[in-house]
Amino acid sequence: MSPGVIGANLVVSFKSFYREKSAVFFTIAFPIILILVFGTIFMNQDNVSFDLHVQDLDQTTSSAQLLRTLELDGRFKIAAVDPAANATQYARDNKLNLLLVIPLGYQKALVQRLGLVGGVPSAAFRNSSASVTVTYIYDASSSSLSPKMQMLQSALGAVNQGMSGEPPFIRTADTPILARKFRFIEFFVPGIIAMSVMTSSLSGAVNVNAELRQKGVIRKLATTPITHGDWVLSNILYQIILAVLSATAILLVSYAVFKVGLRIDGWLPTFIVLEVFAFAGIGMILTRVAKEAESAMAAANAIMYPMMFLSGSFFPLEMMPGFLQKIARILPLYYGNEGLRAAMVLADGVTALRCSAVIGVFAAVVFVVGIMTTKWEEGK
Amino acid sequence: MTTAGEPAIDVAHLTKRYGNLLAVDDVSFTVRMGELFAFVGPNGAGKTTTVEIIDTIRPPTSGTVRLLGMDVTKRKRDILPRIGVLPQGFTSFDRITVTETIQYYARLFSRPKTDVEGLIDLVNLEDKSAELFQNLSGGLKQRLGIAVALVNDPEVVFLDEPTTGLDPRARREVWDVLVGLKKRGKTIVLTTHYMEEAELLADTVAIISKGRIIAMGPPEELIRANAKYLVLTLKSADERAIETVRTMGFEPVQDDHGNITVKVDHPSDVRRILNALTDAEASFLTLDVRKPSLDAVFLELTGGVRQRAAETGPE
Repeated sequence: MSPGVIGANLVVSFKSFYREKSAVFFTIAFPIILILVFGTIFMNQDNVSFDLHVQDLDQTTSSAQLLRTLELDGRFKIAAVDPAANATQYARDNKLNLLLVIPLGYQKALVQRLGLVGGVPSAAFRNSSASVTVTYIYDASSSSLSPKMQMLQSALGAVNQGMSGEPPFIRTADTPILARKFRFIEFFVPGIIAMSVMTSSLSGAVNVNAELRQKGVIRKLATTPITHGDWVLSNILYQIILAVLSATAILLVSYAVFKVGLRIDGWLPTFIVLEVFAFAGIGMILTRVAKEAESAMAAANAIMYPMMFLSGSFFPLEMMPGFLQKIARILPLYYGNEGLRAAMVLADGVTALRCSAVIGVFAAVVFVVGIMTTKWEEGK
Repeated sequence: MTTAGEPAIDVAHLTKRYGNLLAVDDVSFTVRMGELFAFVGPNGAGKTTTVEIIDTIRPPTSGTVRLLGMDVTKRKRDILPRIGVLPQGFTSFDRITVTETIQYYARLFSRPKTDVEGLIDLVNLEDKSAELFQNLSGGLKQRLGIAVALVNDPEVVFLDEPTTGLDPRARREVWDVLVGLKKRGKTIVLTTHYMEEAELLADTVAIISKGRIIAMGPPEELIRANAKYLVLTLKSADERAIETVRTMGFEPVQDDHGNITVKVDHPSDVRRILNALTDAEASFLTLDVRKPSLDAVFLELTGGVRQRAAETGPE
């Protein structure tokens, strides 16, 4: 091993990297954009608020009171619809997925139900059969209709229950499984780190082994004192440094913008190094199978993109059907994602160890096969 | 180290086989220290394969190759620091500048004190030293490749088709560099399919065809031995001139522009033809007598025009 030679390769690799804008974008900027976009979308996942359009045909203090109640816990932002408008037409024209219509006579029915005399409830005048029917005008094809409707049902249910004056029979008590309450972004960040390490090391290995070989750079290198071992070591070191840079950038943005609470310990570099070996190994094997640089890159993309979606980088595996979850468990990136989440979010050392063992064995096998199949010298 | 008088390269019965294809067939030759040795031949003749076996990129099937006194199959690690190689169609890292490329290769040879500026001057790339490799033209890339082949101040330099694909001017610039290297006493092994290049630069030329060396020696000797005639050319000659030459027993060859070439065995034949033309009052624009070029020798030896026509593009 020659430190001077490895240093020379690192200098050339990093200069080539920062002079290639698309490489900088995909390695550093792209994961950060993903973090910012998804982090913002899911930042307030626990207190989602929906826009609710309401046509109040009653226009009384009671109907106004109902709307204030709906707004009160922050679940709905009420938008008033002109009482003179045709509600169905209005919903269609404005592409609303739900429009609530409060009928004329809402206040009148309420007064009868509560037996209000001069604003004071009186049991003698109470008419328990008095009721009012509000109308939902909705678009069943809208994907966000269901949670919105459920939330509205439960809000109206609470109003009904409150009017009965009786305390509820069934109450609920919450006991979260996790010791601390975690936010979506905290699960998302380790997935993005695992994904960006995969993309940079796999495409980096393809670039080095297919493109440089096809162009003849490797043939020139074979006439210099650099050994195959020094060359592979230089490239792996470069990929590791690049992966650490990318992970650092992701973490800095996540801390600065979303104030995530993630554990940074020895597991993070462990998983980064194991992933680099695993995906650089896959890259080397791919370039052996697909000799042309472009077809090797296409094969790398064909592996990376499905793996990103199938192994739970962007969303929890539980959202996927059972057979897809089974597929995920044979993908190396799944163990990168799960291991990093276990280490950084859940402080679950046992799971992290199990995942690192799986990805470690995988990395050792593909890397050794990759080295064995990558020829340094020309044909025999 | 090589001892005085020992050849820089000694190749004996070298054979290289790819499956059923015999790429190099029992080739033997020696290259003296300080010599410029050129392999010429059509594409696929085995020039590059032979050179790549000598410069340790490929293993031979059989035969022995000694470079600087060392067996190339056994002492690659000792040989590489002492040779410089310009592979066919040299390329380097796209986004690395000329200066950085030379520095990089100097570091691979653990030669931090390499005179990078001096090498850039040698190949006339002073104006392009900060240019990225991907922005260089073919000729500039080849010149950079030659500079890179010299970073370790090698004793033997291998240049595989350094001028293929270059325009005439770029080719001449590369020739100037080669002449400069020769003056510095470097042993140079050159492959080319430009006969003119070999004739101009080489001390020894080996003509290789179908894996075998079919002729070898100094260019002027090859010409003398294989093309014992003179070429007489009459430009814009009339019918009477052609007829006159033909009746004298020569075989004039006429081209589309009315020019006639005649092969003659002896200088006295030129005088006889000239006298006959004057007597016949034949008309022609100019008269020109030349020794045949290495090109003609090559055509004689490799069976003529048809094979020459197949010679397009790099090997």
